[in-house]
Amino acid sequence: MMLLPCPWCGPRNATEFRYVGEAGPRPDPASTTPEEWRRYLFMHANPCGPVKETWYHRAGCRRYLAVERDTATNEVRSAVDSATGVAR
Amino acid sequence: MSLLPTTRRGADAPVSMRLGPQPGEVIDRRRTIPFTWNGEDHRAFPGDTIASALAAAGVRVFSRSYKYHRPRGLLTADYLDPGAFFQVGDEPNVRGAHRLVEPGMEVSSQNTWPSLKYDVKAVNQLAGRFLATGFYYKTFIKPEPLWPLYEKVLRRFVHAGAITPDPGEAFYDHRHAHPDVLVAGGGPAGMAAALAAARAGASVMLVEENHQLGGHLRWGDAADLAALGELRAQVAAETGIEVLTDSVVTGRYDDNWVGIAQRNLPGVAERLIKARAGTLVVAPGLIERPYVFAGNDLPGVMLSTAVRRLVNLYAVRPGQRAVVMSANPEGDLAVADLERAGVEVAAVLDARERRGVVRAHGRGGLRAVETNEGRRIEADLLVTATGWTAPTSLLNQSGDRPVYEPTAARFRPDPARMPDNVLAAGEIVGDATVEAIVEHADAVGREAARRAGRGGPAVTIPSLAPRPHPELFTAGTGGFVDLCEDVSAKDITTAVAEGYDSVELVKRYTTVTMGPTQGKLETVNAVALVAAATGKSIAETGTTTWRPVYAPVTLGALAGRPHEPVRHSPMQPWHDRHGATPLVAGQWIRPEHYGDPAAEVRAVRTGVGIIDVTPIGKLDLRGPDVPKLLNLLYVNKWSKLGLGRVRYGVMCAEDGVVMDDGVTGRLGEDHYLMSTTSSGAATVWEWVENWLQTAHPDWQVHVTPVTTAYASINIAGPRSRELLGRLTDVDLSADAFGYMNVRQGSVAGVDDCVLWRIGFTGELSYEIHVPASYGLHVWEQLMARGADLGVTPFGVEAQRILRLEKGHFIVAQDTDGLTQGYTAGIDGLIKLDKDDFVGLPELRWQRERDEHAHLVGVRPLDGSIVPPEASQILDSSGGIAGRITSSRMSPTLGRSIGLAQIDRELAAVGTRVTVRLPDGRDITVEITDAVHVDPEGERQRV
Amino acid sequence: MSSNNGHGGHSRYSAWSLVRHGLTPKSGWPRAWREHDLESSYDAVIIGGGVHGLATAYYLARDHGMRKVAVLDKAYIGSGGSGRNTAILRSNYLTPEGVRFYDRSVKLYEHLAADLNYNVMFSQRGHLTLAHNDSSLRTMHWRTEVNKLQGVDSSVIGPDEIKKLVPYLDTSADTRYPILGALYHPPGGIVRHDAVVWGYARGADAHGVHIHQQTEVTGIDVSHGRVTGVQTNRGPISTPVVLNATAGWATLISDMAGVSMPVQTFPLQAAVTEPVRPFLDTVVVSGTLHVYVSQTDRGELVFGASVDPFASYSMRGSLEFTEGIAGHVLELMPALHRMKLLRQWAGLCDMTPDYSPIMGPTPVEGFYVDVGWGTYGFKAGPVSGEAMAATLASGKPPEIISAFGLDRFTDGRLVGEKGAAAVGH
Repeated sequence: MMLLPCPWCGPRNATEFRYVGEAGPRPDPASTTPEEWRRYLFMHANPCGPVKETWYHRAGCRRYLAVERDTATNEVRSAVDSATGVAR
Repeated sequence: MSLLPTTRRGADAPVSMRLGPQPGEVIDRRRTIPFTWNGEDHRAFPGDTIASALAAAGVRVFSRSYKYHRPRGLLTADYLDPGAFFQVGDEPNVRGAHRLVEPGMEVSSQNTWPSLKYDVKAVNQLAGRFLATGFYYKTFIKPEPLWPLYEKVLRRFVHAGAITPDPGEAFYDHRHAHPDVLVAGGGPAGMAAALAAARAGASVMLVEENHQLGGHLRWGDAADLAALGELRAQVAAETGIEVLTDSVVTGRYDDNWVGIAQRNLPGVAERLIKARAGTLVVAPGLIERPYVFAGNDLPGVMLSTAVRRLVNLYAVRPGQRAVVMSANPEGDLAVADLERAGVEVAAVLDARERRGVVRAHGRGGLRAVETNEGRRIEADLLVTATGWTAPTSLLNQSGDRPVYEPTAARFRPDPARMPDNVLAAGEIVGDATVEAIVEHADAVGREAARRAGRGGPAVTIPSLAPRPHPELFTAGTGGFVDLCEDVSAKDITTAVAEGYDSVELVKRYTTVTMGPTQGKLETVNAVALVAAATGKSIAETGTTTWRPVYAPVTLGALAGRPHEPVRHSPMQPWHDRHGATPLVAGQWIRPEHYGDPAAEVRAVRTGVGIIDVTPIGKLDLRGPDVPKLLNLLYVNKWSKLGLGRVRYGVMCAEDGVVMDDGVTGRLGEDHYLMSTTSSGAATVWEWVENWLQTAHPDWQVHVTPVTTAYASINIAGPRSRELLGRLTDVDLSADAFGYMNVRQGSVAGVDDCVLWRIGFTGELSYEIHVPASYGLHVWEQLMARGADLGVTPFGVEAQRILRLEKGHFIVAQDTDGLTQGYTAGIDGLIKLDKDDFVGLPELRWQRERDEHAHLVGVRPLDGSIVPPEASQILDSSGGIAGRITSSRMSPTLGRSIGLAQIDRELAAVGTRVTVRLPDGRDITVEITDAVHVDPEGERQRV
Repeated sequence: MSSNNGHGGHSRYSAWSLVRHGLTPKSGWPRAWREHDLESSYDAVIIGGGVHGLATAYYLARDHGMRKVAVLDKAYIGSGGSGRNTAILRSNYLTPEGVRFYDRSVKLYEHLAADLNYNVMFSQRGHLTLAHNDSSLRTMHWRTEVNKLQGVDSSVIGPDEIKKLVPYLDTSADTRYPILGALYHPPGGIVRHDAVVWGYARGADAHGVHIHQQTEVTGIDVSHGRVTGVQTNRGPISTPVVLNATAGWATLISDMAGVSMPVQTFPLQAAVTEPVRPFLDTVVVSGTLHVYVSQTDRGELVFGASVDPFASYSMRGSLEFTEGIAGHVLELMPALHRMKLLRQWAGLCDMTPDYSPIMGPTPVEGFYVDVGWGTYGFKAGPVSGEAMAATLASGKPPEIISAFGLDRFTDGRLVGEKGAAAVGH
């Protein structure tokens, strides 16, 4: 069971969190094109290695966290609060 | 041959093989316990395993083999023994050389018919040369229709114990543990590492698969037993160590999450311990490796460790006349044990001198041994000591890739690849005297404590080299590599010759290592044979992946005690008392109806009904930026929602797909109450938080989920005002409290209730949210005070009918995973002129494209037919043009009505289309407006 | 079927040939597929030696006369999802496109043993998808009706009939997740997954395809918008046609060609128990409980669940998977509590937003994809091979896969399989 170092709650089991995934920048809805918008919707980096992604600590502080994780090993390098940037 | 008795009659009479007391024996001779073996009465001493008790009674044949039904005896005399899988009562596949005898146990051999001695399926031995590896892939191909029959026959030959449909209850459990140091293996190294770690201040869990600590010291000489006694005493005295015997580490997972199956807990069939270990010390010792030669599966062919266990732990003489092939000091010690046990040692073949066995002869049991010097020696026991396998599973699961060392003839851990929080100790690393092993493990234990955060200086771990050992895998005369799976050496070479020439392909093609021992006895021999057949080295060939679980675990232990949460409202006891039929809706249990949903509908349409709607999701929103939030998440406009007003909204996801709907009321200047669908409550809450935290952290909105803080009741029907009016201080008059308004006040004496005037049912109705602990009280008051009005409780089914009559869709029933806003028919709600809202671009393009399906009302021409939901709508060419999403008999209209998603071309009101019913009939339905009852909405506005 | 023609250098498998080999033990079987040197150019290079890649090569060589075809695998054939799935076959999908496609696959599977002269042991023992609540029962009805209109044998049956098919199921009404009904699909069943891989490999080899194991693609050469070759750990290959059939590793390969794909890699775990005597004839699936169960001819129960909750390339597996699966199996069949889990493993799934595959051409000319299979790839092996072979040979995808193009994600025309796909085995 992977551990995520929650900036508010400390290291916690991954089952306490909901995986959200990579969140790319949201295009301006007024001017966006279908190509651009659907890239935002569907195309996410899928590297075998370090990735930046979002997790939600649903069974803890209920904060959204920006997490750096290696998808090859599941090693978590950092986790900070998405809104405040608070790190542990 | 097969149908002959497996031992000679006459000589078959049970001979006691029990020896006099042995210094290290684990049996208690003061009393005996009865059990049965294939229906015969037997007795064991406490401490006996099933196999040791049977072996003591002279039993030599324990089972029949997987494919060829060859008779098999003991090989390892421990947990792994492939010859000793038994049915015990209704428990299949019991490890008979590990499981202790309990009083009254009914033990039988598995999968033999009609009996262990006369197993008819042993005819497979005759056909053996045709049943070679790959047999199934090459035959039964044609004629095709016969394959199912062949398959039925194959299934008859399944080699295993049986389960029963009603095995009775057993209690299983889970436990969480957080040891600083977890030591896997309770031999001398494990005990020493545990002691050192505990003395360094670490909390230690010491896990041993066998029934006692001690590992190989248990069957050692006087010095070993003395060392064992000393270590055990120290462990017992060390309060920082928790010892778990008859327990096994089943796997090491991410971040040192470790599974342990604990089997020695009274009253618990098996317990799964989930441990988050600071440092994991892997100290499993070594597993003795069988030798592959013709006849190596005959009863009477055993490993040296099996002999030493039988003699020293269980005081069982393993045979009468023995030949020993030994390549190491442990094998030599077995010779001494045999002599002490009164076994005639006919020959010792020193494999270091290149002497060895090439064939074993016998039928149903060993009779003679043929050596590589051409001797033929009569014997009923052949002991091999040809090398060791390092059980590296836990290290592999930690990321290690053990390296093969030819001079030691075994794989060893590669410390460079191991994560910081895993260490190896003892013989898995190298060989030495007990003192040196203990010294090494002591350093490992101190380092483990340090790495777990217990301080102290870095520890230098002394090196522990493996001693040289000849590479001995096979005599080259055939024989079995995998006794669990009946895979022969020839099967391996055949597979390689056919092109299955990597170890993983050989494994899959021959099933070698796929049986219950999972390769612990077989893998290295198989790898050696593959290497020999391919001309590669063992190191190049590599091993198959060592996967969890290290030892089998019951499903019961993995499942633990079931904890499936159930939610119900405070009024559920009332519903239960009043005959409600329960409906499982996600985690919630709710009343589906109270006996007659149609009557409940009529009561709402003509009088007044009340329904428990507590599961509706409720979010309390506060802050000056709530309107911004609502504007962003809903497709409609929210900035002008006045105080005391309620508005309906629909949420779409960024792909424009409808995700939720509900009403939100403005309770105060900066205070709102949002409702969601019952099933969407958790999702919407996270959705709201997601937008606030990741996209608009500057917005001032505070969200509190209050779904279960309130009990929610909808009071619906033309007389709802009259009923509620009797209980509340809120002015319910049409002028004071109009449609789509919200008020706060007391109901039935309960303060701080929220009252919404909304109309999901299409009737005059009030949805009241009362502090949950008063929910039952308010409900009972409504029932009592409305008795003269004929107030009727109604359930989810009546509500579904009422809303269908009114044409309200249900998200995820009338919509699906691709239903975008305009398909759902909320055109009037979607405000494309807003600057932004979630899903805006997709909805804009959906409308521009104008190709989408529509959600419409439908009415069968024959109003007595209710087409089942999911009935398909056909176009003129018979293709699918849509489906009925909701369908009911309307008690109000006296005819069937429905909702349907249908292609744009057929969606115009008045169009007649064909619907295929599940029974194959086609009916005609007419497209109507979605609203079937009171399309003007007058009833809800009175 | 023309498979006979291809087996020139091969020995045909039959009961008689087996007896002959048994009587004359010295006469070995020939290699099922041969080893070759890596040639410097091929007419087509297929990346991924799983069932999709090998089936494509087989049909390409057999039906389209393209003989200079190479299949590359970075490990051994069938080392990815093809050897790690739970080998369940069915065609009871939700969308007409899906049903037609998988129905063709099941029909190809039905004759695959004879076609390949290799017994893949397709056991059509029936497939039950349990419904524990109204909405899943509604979905079962929906699938049934769509299936029937496509000529696929499906029906919704009630608890009594379910109990007859699977006596070990607890069909009583007072369980936490009562069984309200099930989608029953008699043609569904299980197959020996490795045999499918090996049978296609042997068949492809017989038609001249080169199978290169331990051959890892390290780059894809693209020049002026079209593919010209691939780089491997064993040297470069020039080729005008490349197929990416690498499932969980699909984006890593497509990235080499500069083609982005809406694919995320998630582990999918499975487990087997120790064997017991046969008691379970049908495949049992519960979407609500996220579990599927079947019993092999060896007596083992094979368990699977939905994909792991987060994207990863780690195949180490998790303890919580085994806890969850055991709990849910016992919820369905309480009598199994003494059965023992023997082994767990994981494979990698290439998940798409609409739970449907991506098949056909890409913006890079000559670079084709057969990816996005999620948890369904194995079921689709034969039909995908057939369709991709046609695509590679003609440059145009045939009608049966026209709904599955990569461009649907920019056009916004997703396939609606997601509704039925929470756990779709």
